[in-house]
Amino acid sequence: MRHLRQRSVLPGFGLTLGYSLLYLGLIVLIPLASTFLKTTTLSWSEFWAAVSSPRVVASYRLSFGASFLAGLVNCLAGLVVAWVLVRYEFWGKRLVDALVDLPFALPTAVAGIALTTLYARTGWIGAWLEPLGISVAFTPLGVFVALTFIGLPFVVRTVQPVLQDLEPELEEAAASLGANRWQTFRRILLPVLRPALLTGFALAFARALGEYGSVVFISGNMPMKTEITPLLIITKLEQYDYAGATALAAVMLVISFALLLAINLLHWWGSRHHAPA
Amino acid sequence: MSIEVQHVTKRFGAFTALDDVSLKVETGELVALLGPSGSGKTTLLRIIAGLDFPEPGGGQILYHGQDVTDLPASQRKAGFAFQHYALFRHLTVFENVAFGLRVRPRATRPDERAIRQRVGELLGLVQLGPLAQRLPAQLSGGQRQRVSLARALAVEPRVLLLDEPFGALDAKVRKELRRWLRHLHEEIHLTTLFVTHDQEEALELASRVAILREGRIEQVGSPETIYEHPASPFVYDFLGNVNLFRGRIEQGSVRIGGVRFDAGGVIGSPETAALAFVRPHDIRVTRCGKGQSTLPARVVRFHTVGPVAHLDLERLDDRSCVSVQLSKEELQDLSLQVGEVVQVEFRKVRVFSEDYSI
Amino acid sequence: MNPTPRLSRTEGGSRRRATHDPRWMRALLVGAAFLFLGLFLFVPLASVFAHALAKGIGPYLETFQDPVTLSAIRLTLIAAAVAVPLNTLFGVCAAWAIAKFDFRGKQVLLTLIDLPFSVSPVISGLIYVLLFGAQGWLGPWLAERDLQIIFAIPGILLATLFVTFPFVARELIPLMQAQGRMEEEAAMVLGASGWKTWWRVTLPNIKWGLLYGIILCNARAMGEFGAVSVVSGHIRGQTNTLPLHVEILYNEYNAVAAFAVASLLTLLAVLTLALKSWVEGKQAASLAAASAATSP
Repeated sequence: MRHLRQRSVLPGFGLTLGYSLLYLGLIVLIPLASTFLKTTTLSWSEFWAAVSSPRVVASYRLSFGASFLAGLVNCLAGLVVAWVLVRYEFWGKRLVDALVDLPFALPTAVAGIALTTLYARTGWIGAWLEPLGISVAFTPLGVFVALTFIGLPFVVRTVQPVLQDLEPELEEAAASLGANRWQTFRRILLPVLRPALLTGFALAFARALGEYGSVVFISGNMPMKTEITPLLIITKLEQYDYAGATALAAVMLVISFALLLAINLLHWWGSRHHAPA
Repeated sequence: MSIEVQHVTKRFGAFTALDDVSLKVETGELVALLGPSGSGKTTLLRIIAGLDFPEPGGGQILYHGQDVTDLPASQRKAGFAFQHYALFRHLTVFENVAFGLRVRPRATRPDERAIRQRVGELLGLVQLGPLAQRLPAQLSGGQRQRVSLARALAVEPRVLLLDEPFGALDAKVRKELRRWLRHLHEEIHLTTLFVTHDQEEALELASRVAILREGRIEQVGSPETIYEHPASPFVYDFLGNVNLFRGRIEQGSVRIGGVRFDAGGVIGSPETAALAFVRPHDIRVTRCGKGQSTLPARVVRFHTVGPVAHLDLERLDDRSCVSVQLSKEELQDLSLQVGEVVQVEFRKVRVFSEDYSI
Repeated sequence: MNPTPRLSRTEGGSRRRATHDPRWMRALLVGAAFLFLGLFLFVPLASVFAHALAKGIGPYLETFQDPVTLSAIRLTLIAAAVAVPLNTLFGVCAAWAIAKFDFRGKQVLLTLIDLPFSVSPVISGLIYVLLFGAQGWLGPWLAERDLQIIFAIPGILLATLFVTFPFVARELIPLMQAQGRMEEEAAMVLGASGWKTWWRVTLPNIKWGLLYGIILCNARAMGEFGAVSVVSGHIRGQTNTLPLHVEILYNEYNAVAAFAVASLLTLLAVLTLALKSWVEGKQAASLAAASAATSP
């Protein structure tokens, strides 16, 4: 290891790094790599057929569309929630702050059955929406609702610290230069918050794309209509179509890694923008 | 206990932090490592403490003639005070000081009563007895520095190493602590090496000063030697408080702006461009120059602080600035006016040929 | 005519700091936030308990006497008991190596540690099926030796390990990086061994961050559904964890039992949130003390 790093007075580098790499390799890297290896047992045309059949394409459309819309809604709502939590004092603030993380802490299966029961035709919320001609459970709208729930904390938690670190001088300067509150927000605050908003959106979007537990209950899982891509992977697996499942998984993994890369770049962009002037 | 640094070289990637540095600190000395940031002084101190290590085959560290180069920091028994104190934030002042005693192997660990007594003594020595149960966060900077010194002393170190001991303190506390440290050193006579970038601190406190520049030792000597006989233009420049004149060396003297000055010994090659250094208090100002060796200059500004008067002049030939220091009485006797032209004479000039190490 | 010009005050004429919004806007935004969070967070939370207790406390408690439920509880506890310590050990090791030493490839390692978070839970299960399943790379080898991983407890443990892999590490790494290695160096110079330095200096400094990571890791380990679902095989009483049991009961239209089990998991989530915000408070306090201790 000596050539890898400077000699240090603190002990344990070789042991801790060695163990970390071994564990990382065994639990994460080898299983992931084996998935990509498995796809190489498919010919190109088999692979293409598996990832571009109409049923699969319909699932892409639903997964991407619903995740994107949920991300957008969370951007807006998350900004409002973060703003309220940072800027205002009100009753129950600490509780609200803690509750924001509920979607992280609540097992997805619980979220799934709770949302389904709420939005079913006879549910607490569904019963109100039904007369208006809106059905949520077992429609694409239900998928959107579940994904909104699951992505809710991301934007709040990325925007909140940036908003917290913002110096009041920035807004005071804008006000002293004659800008009104809306102009200050549009021209000063929003550009500063943009990297965090985008990061939050990307995180929520990535999470929503892969989400399974909270969606399977509320979606109804009708092929071509309310079937998301992760569910399709499971369906193929249950039909012993290992090759098909693997091909779909490979596509999703590549998309996940691309998103991870994008998120890292956003982080870098955000920190560069945030460097003290 | 003496410390010897022999031909130590240290690189961080492509950057050479220390380049074949040798230095000997005698038993009981108080030595300053002085240099600008990036000169390698902290790295040298850390290598002496065993917190960093020289390149393989890149020199040795000796404590009292014994090679400790491969001895880990925990076995060197060097007291080290960190620049930002590095106090254990979760431990009280008392427990911080007691740490080094408590982590000893059972066989050599003092019992609880002995620990209490020793820590009590040390806290008395650094005048922090009443604050023993405070956490570091509840102390001022000067108090933290004293805790860090007491902590370093608790293990009965063979040498004391201080990294910028007063760097993060304000001017008044810094002066107090400086006096206190000198007093402490006189009392316990521990071989002490401290790093500083403040020349005043080094000259005031140390019995010897080593000046570092870009990983090399530029000069080692007593504060008087360093101040009166800087070995290079760098040392002159770094110690500050000096006028720099550009000229030419001719037959053992130096020509500045058409005027020839007696150089009193030239360092470097003859008959080349030269740098001449003159301290502000080695300049005499007169109304009318006697003899050849005077430069005409215009009075730009003067002001008095206590017994000392500062005078800013501008040379007539190349409009460069000359700063002069004289006593308040001298200034009054001259009764100068701003804008007036005076003659400048040098009592003492130090000349280096321009190719000499810069 | 009034000769002195008057500066008109905008927005209600009240004196406000430049960073303060008018009252109507504050009310509007707080209201919107409450509405959104109420609808999406509070109502689902409340509905779990309402449905669980829909037929009274008797049927609710009955669910927890069912041996199948009890075995699901046991398996969930086992999964957490395996995943949390192993991932904690990994997190501590990785954080020590990454935060206290400089070496090449650090950035790559950081990205790889985060990888499991960006993978769909379904795929997190699938990768083990592809490795250890009957059709997998090691399937025949395992079958020969009569070892079963997929559709058995080892598969559940592996999937749980994978999805909870980064929690402790990603909590500790930035914390330990921010703390630097100065205090550890001070301890070493004072004669402490590596172990003593870790126990007496490093651990007390990171204890809240460590606890935070463990709490999150535990919540996910007990609550994971997708990944475990893929590898479990859903054998009642054998390879069923609590979240999988919720699904089975729900699909059998046994709403009270499904929500009763769900309420147990919800309590876990609420407890997690409470602990988390308590630890956050502690951590903020110790961070404030630390920054006060290092700034002059």
